[in-house]
Amino acid sequence: MKKVIIYFLSLVMILIAPFIGDFVIDFSKINAMDSQDYMVFWDLRLPRVFLAFFCGAILSLSGLVFQTIFKNALITPYTLGVASGSTLFTALFIIFFPSYIYVFGGFLGAFLTIVLLFFISNRINQNSILVQTNSFLLVGIALSFFYSACLMLLFTVSNFEENYSIVRYTLGSLDIVGFDYVFPVGFASSVLLFMVYVYKKEITLMLTSNENAFLKGVEVKKVNFILLLVVSFCVGICISFTGPIGFIGLVVPHIIKIVYKQSAYKLFWPVFFFGGVFLVVCDFISRNLIQSSTLPIGVVTAFIGAPFFIYLIVRRSYK
Amino acid sequence: MLAINNYQSSILHDISLEIKGNTIILGSNGSGKSTLAKVMVGIIENEATTILGKKHHELSRIQKIETINYIPSKLEIFDEYMSVQEFLELSFIGISKIKVQELASLLGISTLLEHNCQTLSSGESQLLLMASCIAHNALITILDEPTSNLDQIKTKRVFDIVNSNEYLQHKIIITHDLNFAYKLGFDIVFIQSGKVVFQGSNEAFFCAKNMETFFGNSVKIVENFVVSNL
Repeated sequence: MKKVIIYFLSLVMILIAPFIGDFVIDFSKINAMDSQDYMVFWDLRLPRVFLAFFCGAILSLSGLVFQTIFKNALITPYTLGVASGSTLFTALFIIFFPSYIYVFGGFLGAFLTIVLLFFISNRINQNSILVQTNSFLLVGIALSFFYSACLMLLFTVSNFEENYSIVRYTLGSLDIVGFDYVFPVGFASSVLLFMVYVYKKEITLMLTSNENAFLKGVEVKKVNFILLLVVSFCVGICISFTGPIGFIGLVVPHIIKIVYKQSAYKLFWPVFFFGGVFLVVCDFISRNLIQSSTLPIGVVTAFIGAPFFIYLIVRRSYK
Repeated sequence: MLAINNYQSSILHDISLEIKGNTIILGSNGSGKSTLAKVMVGIIENEATTILGKKHHELSRIQKIETINYIPSKLEIFDEYMSVQEFLELSFIGISKIKVQELASLLGISTLLEHNCQTLSSGESQLLLMASCIAHNALITILDEPTSNLDQIKTKRVFDIVNSNEYLQHKIIITHDLNFAYKLGFDIVFIQSGKVVFQGSNEAFFCAKNMETFFGNSVKIVENFVVSNL
């Protein structure tokens, strides 16, 4: 019953989100093609809500998948340097190839980082099906720092205008016009959800331990590689359109686990759905908290996410 | 049934073994027993092991899980909320005549079915592992120290299961418990610092001379029991 109410409230939230904002929409004009209300609703608000939902869903579910693959509650595509990779490459594109759409740079950065991580992981775990998570996490953190250093270097060689674009990108943004960006992200999110369900049996076994999964006939390395590839592909698409939006991948899977108290293989859909809802809500706050302008979405998610993250760490230590 | 032909690594040296039936692997801490088990089962990739005449990579996925299974000495579960029931259900590899409930009552863990695996005590998780290998029921089951965390009553229960042929087909048991090994009467492989120093029958192993050579004066055979000489 409680769940039904939560689902209902979430749906209501998604439904009312596009109607509320700085610009007050007049319902009677919503279908009048030439009105400003029509444009704001169909070209700005609605695509924005969809984009927020799909991005939130992708980031949350990919967090859950990464935590399963690497057997570490703190790993997300973000803590492994994927976000900084995509930021760096976007910055490179902004400075050196301004004529290209920098969406491509973000995607390339995310993708290259994951491929690099996979090969490093393979080197660390030679001849064994076991994953040494700690060294992997450390490599990811080292990579993030390396990328940040490169980014600082870029700041010093770029001009003021380029600097502003880069900073703006790093804060994350859901500002889009029309549905052009929504379709690829929506497609990516459905691919991710589909693949996770295709590999449900394997993921379930990997939730025990890689050893156990191996003994039950799961080709751990192959499944890892496929899932990593799919996740990085989807996260890459997502980040390239919105910029790095932190903390969702970490926070949402943990909240859902704590609320549902169920094994992660039963939580694919809740994590996907409520991840989407979480970002829609964050976006809603970011648009409506300050009247004159929009808060960067990364600020809102981190504002909610960071304290929760600390709470989680404290709670873990009490266990 | 299972053979290792000249396996070399930093821990194990010149291992050549042929295992024909139920076997017990003995050895001191850090002698490489668990590593040897991981080599046998293929968790450590190698070309040296042959099972039923086939190397690991020559076995199909199904053949592999039907022929060999390994139970670690510690239960390792990443997911916080996976229950004992769920874990047991995952342990079956096909249709089995034994059911989760029966299995749980056989090991005396029926009351734990709803609990999360991570909250179990070390003894309880060892019983769960035992239940899981019966559910899996591979041709060869390697048990890594199946009684190390158990009290006497539960050790006896596990002993009876391992000693009967009703639940598991062929068994390779790694243990420290000499009396446990002695009473089972399986063939013995003794490992010392990564080398096989004894392979033979149970009777041949448990004689005063061998006890003296392998364990110094810390072990004694007294009236059909092997006891620590404290």
